Amino acid sequence: MDAALRALAEPTRRQILRLVRDRERTAGDIAEHFDVTRPAVSQHLRALQEAQLVTVRRDGTRRWYRARPEGLSEMQAWLASMWRGNLADLKRAAEREERSVRARRGGTMRAKGRA
Amino acid sequence: MNELDVSVRIDASASTVFRFFTDPVRMCEWMGVAADADPRPGGTYRVDVTGRDVASGSYVEIVPHERVVWTWGWEGNPDFPPGSSTVEVTLEADGDATVVRLRHTGLPDGPSAARHREGWEHYLARLVAAGTGSDAGRDPWVQPSR
Repeated sequence: MDAALRALAEPTRRQILRLVRDRERTAGDIAEHFDVTRPAVSQHLRALQEAQLVTVRRDGTRRWYRARPEGLSEMQAWLASMWRGNLADLKRAAEREERSVRARRGGTMRAKGRA
Repeated sequence: MNELDVSVRIDASASTVFRFFTDPVRMCEWMGVAADADPRPGGTYRVDVTGRDVASGSYVEIVPHERVVWTWGWEGNPDFPPGSSTVEVTLEADGDATVVRLRHTGLPDGPSAARHREGWEHYLARLVAAGTGSDAGRDPWVQPSR
């Protein structure tokens, strides 16, 4: 799960995944959709492959890429990121509240070394 | 794999963290833009997550400072309706901190989730922001694909 989310954290890789979602494409075809260099696209494809989000089919010298249907579904990907984002917000909010609770308690918390 | 399992360590007591699961005002600080909740078993909740996507369901189990379980689904989404999945949160003290583990189970199958695409992109942007500790700011994927 984490490998997939890390791979998806890069906007170009999300765009690549979208391109190969419904249609198999060659690396060259994919590269034409982006302004980045061909090696950079290859690197993105490798990351997607390692995260098991795309499959590769060799055909002579060409490699065809396609989104892996049993990979992380979009729904799960965005729900996972929703919860991660939410929990990050929860952490910020709860820690802010805890600091003010401890500050209100004053002396007793300072005695524990945590104002 | 139709479940998600996410954890976070929070430098706050379990009693502080617990309030964020039952108090609608505090729920808005991390779950959505508007929330309404009746935090008791069988009580319902409604959270407007994005300003357009409303999640709702009911509380299944509430153990103060330890555990909260509620059902989850999206209003107006027949593939993933309210009550169709379950979110289970456990709070475990770790020194002065609390480890929050969230498991979302019973997720619907499949790539039929095209309708979630906007949400997907929105939340992936948030994930990136969360991962880097910065503000989400502009969605990096606003330009249409060519």
